[in-house]
Amino acid sequence: MNVGTAHSEVNPNTRVMNSRGIWLSYVLGIGLLHVVLLSIPFFSVPVVWTLTNIIHNMSMYIFLHTVKGTPFETPDQGKARLLTHWEQMDYGVQFTASRKFLTIMPIVLYFLTSFYTKYDRIHFVINTISLMSVLIPKLPQLHGVRIFGINKY
Amino acid sequence: INHIMHNGGLYKRPFNEAFEETPMLVAVLTYVGYGVLTLFGYLRDFMRQWKIEKCQNAIEREEQKDFVPLYQDFENFYNRNLYMRIRDSWNRPICSVPGAKVDMMERVSHDYNWTFTYTGRVIKDVINMGSYNYLGFAQNSGTCQEAAAKVLSRYGAGVCSSRQEMGNLDIHEELEKLVARFLGVESAMAYGMGFATNSMNIPALVGKGCLILSDELNHASLVLGARLSGATIRIFKHNNMQSLEKLLKDAIVHGQPRTRRPWKKILILVEGIYSMEGSIVRLPEVIALKKKYKSYLYLDEAHSIGALGPNGRGVVDYFGLNPEDVDVMMGTFTKSFGAAGGYIGGKKELIDYLRTHSHSAVYATSMSPPVVEQIITSMKCIMGEDGTTIGRQCVQQLAENTRYFRRRLKEMGFIIYGNEDSPVVPLMLYMPAKIGAFGREMLKRNIGVVVVGFPATPIIESRARFCLSAAHTKEMLDTALKEINEVGDLLQLKYSRHRLVPLLDRPFDETTYEETED
Repeated sequence: MNVGTAHSEVNPNTRVMNSRGIWLSYVLGIGLLHVVLLSIPFFSVPVVWTLTNIIHNMSMYIFLHTVKGTPFETPDQGKARLLTHWEQMDYGVQFTASRKFLTIMPIVLYFLTSFYTKYDRIHFVINTISLMSVLIPKLPQLHGVRIFGINKY
Repeated sequence: INHIMHNGGLYKRPFNEAFEETPMLVAVLTYVGYGVLTLFGYLRDFMRQWKIEKCQNAIEREEQKDFVPLYQDFENFYNRNLYMRIRDSWNRPICSVPGAKVDMMERVSHDYNWTFTYTGRVIKDVINMGSYNYLGFAQNSGTCQEAAAKVLSRYGAGVCSSRQEMGNLDIHEELEKLVARFLGVESAMAYGMGFATNSMNIPALVGKGCLILSDELNHASLVLGARLSGATIRIFKHNNMQSLEKLLKDAIVHGQPRTRRPWKKILILVEGIYSMEGSIVRLPEVIALKKKYKSYLYLDEAHSIGALGPNGRGVVDYFGLNPEDVDVMMGTFTKSFGAAGGYIGGKKELIDYLRTHSHSAVYATSMSPPVVEQIITSMKCIMGEDGTTIGRQCVQQLAENTRYFRRRLKEMGFIIYGNEDSPVVPLMLYMPAKIGAFGREMLKRNIGVVVVGFPATPIIESRARFCLSAAHTKEMLDTALKEINEVGDLLQLKYSRHRLVPLLDRPFDETTYEETED
């Protein structure tokens, strides 16, 4: 159980989002979440869409921008220990294909949600705040930035 | 259709390599599998944290609770939640010589692989598809063993010195002359450990201001040696000659990163057979590129020496090339010769330089005499100098076994990576649960295999690796194939859609990002 025995990739976490079929799995995952929420009888369609948007953005924030480091020991003595998965992707190179995909997905979901909630004011406010919380950490200017020292170590 | 290359007369025989693409459904299900395992991992960690479940991992003591933690919990996540579940497929103790059949000690676990106990029973005659025993020299009887026993009674087991001091025996000199003759080079030097050969000699050859171009899938020893040397390392795509040529052109045109000075040396690091993919290096093209751009070539024949080629002389023999074209020929005695250690062969000035400047030559203990005798006897056997044709038969038997085994597995519908002629056969499993299931089912049916998963391989490409041997008879292979067929049906491993992506059509794209060089 050693990282990189079969390849000289120092941190396999950087390549996970480029692997074959992961974008499709991601979209199918969102679809599954949506269908599960739709099957709960007392939620109306706008509420379900807002819930999908919020849950998707919260999970994305947790898994991409909060959890730091790698779930395995890497041979580079922990260069990535303080980096979130978003910062580790492609070794920090910005505007790669996966980064663009993961930036566009919440925006597309936001459009769909706005449509299906018929642009109602309360839903709009909630969805916009949720979208901002997941778009702002993806800006290249915020690479490695920890505001107020939250989540630094 | 298989992509068969001829490439303007560089290749004298068809070069048949294929890596079938992962079916999309399988990839999606693999991610689902990892996702479920991750969620359950978080749940179990939560239960362990709140003492609902007993934590069997090592934890820091109560007195040190307020100190900065020594280890990060998260770095151990994969180990305790995924690896522990299937840990019984690795580190299995064997108790006989690892020939074509091996005896294994049976062990059971009553707490889901956190601890093992031995039942005391020995599983006899497990067909060994995991040992690197390519020519079948891992024996405890026969001419090699008798010669080694005689040498043991003459010289003893230890040398008690390094080569430079009192450890240079006459059999070491004989071995080095023999290795040089075997490879067709001027001179050779042997070391006690194959890993140390790579990691200690590359720093002696290159240093700061040199450039190393290394293949994507190079072994950890080559990577370690390259990093220790302090040279700049650039990685080219696996076996992709366009990528290598582009890197060479860029290096020569642009020179060193800031100062634009020319590189002192450019060294290309490749392996003969890549042990995890089963692919063979495109040596004719590499040598053509090396000559065109005037760089040096370091060829690591750990798995290919003895296993490829009509005379068993390795990948240079397989392609019919001149051994003097390769500047540094490195190899190990562990795989085909049934011994231990490594060697480096090349020009006399190079080897004389390495004798004084290489760390493992100066500081490491020299090889043990019975091991040296085993290598001498087995090498003479392969070359045919002991008067029998056993060596030749072994080489031919291995080639036949390889072709037969690969053909039958492909016909059954498994996805097999690599070159048609390589005795290393990776069978793709993809899903994390099937790694454990395959290892256990094969052991139930008395066949021992090696399985590999993430993070040693890329996340979806977990595999089982078979290493064929000249010691496997056709009956053993047929038994193994029958069992693999059964397990394949049981676990639904037959993913192949018989649409092989020809290797050359894989687009050479720029979307690999690497660590910036420091």
